[in-house]
Amino acid sequence: MQLAVEGEEKMSIVPKETIEVIAQSIGITNLSPEAALMLAPDVEYRVREIMQEAIKCMRHSKRTTLTASDVDGALNLRNLEPIYGFGSGGPIRFRKAIGHRDLFYTDDREVDFKDVIEAPLPKAPLDTEIVCHWLAIEGVQPAIPENAPLEVIRAPAENQIYQQKDGPLIDIRLPVKHVLSKELQLYFQKIAELTLSKSNPSLFKEALVSLASDSGLHPLVPYFTNFIADEVSRGLNDFLLLFNLMHVVRSLLQNPHIHIEPYLHQLMPSVVTCLVSRKLGNRFADNHWDLRDFTANLVALICKRFGNTYITLQSRLTKTLVNALLDPKKALTQHYGAIQGLAALGHNVVRLLVLSNLEPYLSLLEPELDAEKQKNQMKSYEAWRVYGAILRAAGLCIHDRLKIFPTLPSPSPSFPSKGKGKVISTEPNKRKLGVDSSENRSPHKRLIATDGSDGGPSPMQVDRPTGDANPPQNSVRPSSSEQASDGNAPESRNAKEKDDSKGRAITRKAILDQIWKDDLDSGRLLVKLHQLYGDRILPFIPSTEMSLFL
Amino acid sequence: MDPEQVDEFVMGYLKKKGFNSAAKHLQESLHNNNGSSFSSIDYPNDPELTKLIRSFSQSENDPSRYREGYSKLRSWGYNSLDLYKHELLRVMYPVFIHCYMDLVGKGHTQEARSFFNSFRKDHEMVHLRDLQKLGGVLAPSHLQEMEFARSLRQSKINIKICQYSYDLLIQYLHRTESTLMLGIINEHINFQVYSGQPNSASDDIEAVTIVGSFHETADHVNQKEIHWGLLEDSLEDRLEKTGGLLSDSEKGQGESKAGDDSKKRSAEIGKQGSSTKKLKKDKAGTATTKVARQETSTVLSSMPRVKPELAMPVMSTDVEESILEDLRNRVQLSSVAMPSVSFYTFVNTHNGLNSSSISHDGSLVAGGFSDSSIKVWDMAKIGQAGSCALQDDNNQIVGKNGRRNYTLLVGHSGPVYSATFSPPGDYVLSSSADTTIRLWSTKLNANLVCYKGHNHTVWDAQFSPFGHYFASCSHDRTARIWSMDRMQPLRMMAGHLSDVDCVQWHPNCNYIATGSSDKTVRLWDVQTGECVRIFIGHRSMVLSLAMSPDGRYMASGDEDGTIMMWDLSTARCITPLMGHNSCVWTLSYSGEGSLLASGSADCTVKLWDVSSSTKLTKAEEKNGNSNRLRSIRTFPTKSTPVHALRFSRRNLLFAAGAYYMSDTVGSIFLNFDRFGIMAVFVNMSRDLRRATCDAIDRRSQIVVRFAVA
Repeated sequence: MQLAVEGEEKMSIVPKETIEVIAQSIGITNLSPEAALMLAPDVEYRVREIMQEAIKCMRHSKRTTLTASDVDGALNLRNLEPIYGFGSGGPIRFRKAIGHRDLFYTDDREVDFKDVIEAPLPKAPLDTEIVCHWLAIEGVQPAIPENAPLEVIRAPAENQIYQQKDGPLIDIRLPVKHVLSKELQLYFQKIAELTLSKSNPSLFKEALVSLASDSGLHPLVPYFTNFIADEVSRGLNDFLLLFNLMHVVRSLLQNPHIHIEPYLHQLMPSVVTCLVSRKLGNRFADNHWDLRDFTANLVALICKRFGNTYITLQSRLTKTLVNALLDPKKALTQHYGAIQGLAALGHNVVRLLVLSNLEPYLSLLEPELDAEKQKNQMKSYEAWRVYGAILRAAGLCIHDRLKIFPTLPSPSPSFPSKGKGKVISTEPNKRKLGVDSSENRSPHKRLIATDGSDGGPSPMQVDRPTGDANPPQNSVRPSSSEQASDGNAPESRNAKEKDDSKGRAITRKAILDQIWKDDLDSGRLLVKLHQLYGDRILPFIPSTEMSLFL
Repeated sequence: MDPEQVDEFVMGYLKKKGFNSAAKHLQESLHNNNGSSFSSIDYPNDPELTKLIRSFSQSENDPSRYREGYSKLRSWGYNSLDLYKHELLRVMYPVFIHCYMDLVGKGHTQEARSFFNSFRKDHEMVHLRDLQKLGGVLAPSHLQEMEFARSLRQSKINIKICQYSYDLLIQYLHRTESTLMLGIINEHINFQVYSGQPNSASDDIEAVTIVGSFHETADHVNQKEIHWGLLEDSLEDRLEKTGGLLSDSEKGQGESKAGDDSKKRSAEIGKQGSSTKKLKKDKAGTATTKVARQETSTVLSSMPRVKPELAMPVMSTDVEESILEDLRNRVQLSSVAMPSVSFYTFVNTHNGLNSSSISHDGSLVAGGFSDSSIKVWDMAKIGQAGSCALQDDNNQIVGKNGRRNYTLLVGHSGPVYSATFSPPGDYVLSSSADTTIRLWSTKLNANLVCYKGHNHTVWDAQFSPFGHYFASCSHDRTARIWSMDRMQPLRMMAGHLSDVDCVQWHPNCNYIATGSSDKTVRLWDVQTGECVRIFIGHRSMVLSLAMSPDGRYMASGDEDGTIMMWDLSTARCITPLMGHNSCVWTLSYSGEGSLLASGSADCTVKLWDVSSSTKLTKAEEKNGNSNRLRSIRTFPTKSTPVHALRFSRRNLLFAAGAYYMSDTVGSIFLNFDRFGIMAVFVNMSRDLRRATCDAIDRRSQIVVRFAVA
């Protein structure tokens, strides 16, 4: 305890005025100042005495907070009558008087008897109970809710405190040593082995399921993050290993019992590495494109889950990716990864970051695409991959863009003839699927072409299937003016429904007009895209909208 | 110096001292002789004498002389050679408090206070609690009233100091003619001068602890012989005899290792001198059993054995059997083999739980409450219904079948400060602020006896290790020994200078240890009622005690969170165990004495490795290494201060504590108008580390502020 006395030069810390006031309050009016002066130190002594006893009572009540009952107990010990009325209930509220630094008064409101009498009986307080749990099992604290929060997260700070306080008395250990049971160690070893061995894919799959669903793995998370970071930095040449590691990351993310946030900052670099590294795997046959695609989805997953808690996460990520994309010195593979990553982050990101840079980038890509200029087949193939990726990103973006217009297909459910409506609404999807598959197919074809023919793929060759898939649009589009299409499209699309009701058609036309005005800019975007990509963008445009624009 | 001047001085001195008749005679003789009466003394040629006369003639009542003298001495002390500094600074504290008390005694309250406040910072670190007490002394009458102050005034303080430091100090005092300081030092300090180099600064704690006249008596008391050995024919022995047959290979290994230690120990015991005499007698008396024991060659058998001085209760065979069974199944604990800890959390106590205890087998838990009630839970029953009770909160208020699931024992008329179980768990002993101790039966759920005898609140009561006898301690500064069948206490132990706060039996039942607010722990002989050991070293009130199972060591925990480990035979602190930062409520040794568990208000249970210390004691005493005991594990609880700890006979650790409802610690306000203080309010910081306690007078000024750290 420490005693800070205010007003050092006074005889006693109780001023004589206080004594005088008290004397008056009990009816002694003629107390001489000398007597008050003499009494003051004694009052202070008595108060200290009572407080000392009160502290004893507090200690014996196994508390570290002094309460009114302790003071009563102290008065009892001195054979004095306790002061009544303070032991019950909660703390009395004191209020600070306005304008005075240390003037307090009790917030004592007048109570109406009637209110007190009519008030419902208070709830009986909960009765004392005993709850039993394991604080430690053979020296290790189990991670159960009854115990203090996990040591894994807290331990470093705690150790620091001990270090400062106790100096050499406490031996500092790694916090994790305390918590990692033998079983967990074994589990970790097994998982690490499986990840590294690559020989037993079925078992590895089982392991991934276990990682994604088992509870109680949390103590291992720091180990896993370390493991992943180490292996990624070491095994950039080992494609399969990287793929396995990314699977592990995904499983960890999926596990609902794991609190992975604190380790995200360790995990992200490894993941991003797998996305935009120059070289992943050392063999030609390694399909690092797949790995990049997978990782892109992973990144998107992380951003979706933790983007709210870590506001900077996505912005930092996109910055990294855009930097990788816009740096002409970076390899094409890196560009590919960056594009896929951005595409996975959502259409808004693509629209804002990719489409705005599309023109300069495509001009950069142009020479690489040209078979005559770029002799290296590998390079040319990569360029085409990138081209495909960027096309897909842009296409999906514009597709999404067009889809969000109060949706042309949306009126269809309101049609009386539901069957027909369905036909219409499903048609674009089907079409899109077809387009997607054809788009997806094209790389394979390209691959075959690269493998098979010496001449290298020409744009025409590649695009033919897509072109074939949508001949009408192709033929119509260049000739038609936009205004004309505005009027024509609904008519042609909805010709079947003409007999339904003309009135409806008219209203729909009005809606479409509205929409068209709203999204003139996206229309412009489409035009721009078309200028850049030529016909290749068309498969992405849903047929309804397509007809609308054409 | 003129003879007339001398005469004047003498006259002044005599008058001041009140020797009126002597002064009159002197005046008369002066008139008669018309010359100096001191002509026979050659004072003009004796400068020392002149100075002395001068100093006597100075107005002695000048309070500023204390401040001057002390501050000079202080600055000299701080500027002295580093090697001797700490020894010289040790002198400062007694001088400081005596200066202060002199000033108060002479009625210079104001000067006393300003003196106190200007220098108290120097001593706060070590003597905080003493200073706090002294700070309240403001009038001469308080000096008389307060026991602490009185004992300080009456006794001399022993200070060990090396020859050179002593010379330095005396030289300084003479050179600067600070007779006042010299007077205080002569009056209140007893120097124990030794030749050689000064001790290192940190080694002896005793040097800085001042507890009145304790030291001489303590030194004297601590010479007495004690027999810390275990009882003959104890259950452990019996186990070993039978255990020789049962023990498997790994147990045998452990024992052979321990056997080596026991050899060392027996060699040590040989040096103990006086205490071994009786041992030999004992051994001679039980020569035949001795031979049998030597064959088993285990730790315990080589320990000295003593006969019980009390008539021991007879243990029923089935109880004995179950204890033997437990001992056989005991888990061996060490710094690598940690115990499991089962924690009993009291919820909804509404700050009313004063004490709790756990029976030896962990099946019963008792709580003493401030509403005078005692509640006993049978954990075996709760264990059956416990899981479902946890699930729905509504059922928690009343038990499953509409009844509360504890036994309520009502009888006390004041807060219950302790409730403990008898070793077999068939009785509960409770002590209360109503000055009584009550004995309850857990079988009948009823009060059996009410023991009256103490004059004040009974803080603690503990059964002896074999039951039947129990010890109690109280605010009336006594500890008492009782037996269950007598209404009156059998022995009364008086000697502590303040409340006796905790009591603990020695495993052999011949001694009890008591911890007190006077910051000492005492060991008492149960048979004679004499104090046989005084342990000095704590800096605040002692709250918990534990005896090692081999009876050789004792651990005590205090208000500041320090735990001290004592060697009973030498009354020396082996080492302080630092780590807790708040009150240590409870201590418990593991069954074989290798681990010490401590529970504290800082919401942790700590385990300390004490086996290494006991092995290396001798070797390390020479090295002077005091940091060898270490905390090997800390278990934080979820904001639950730990009230009670108990190692079961099988070495499972049970802990109990009351969940502290949230951290919203508000203020508590009281009316104090009887003392002119209108209100006191207590503010607690969120981390429960600091509290301030303000007293407010009628004009709403803060008049006293205590800060509790």
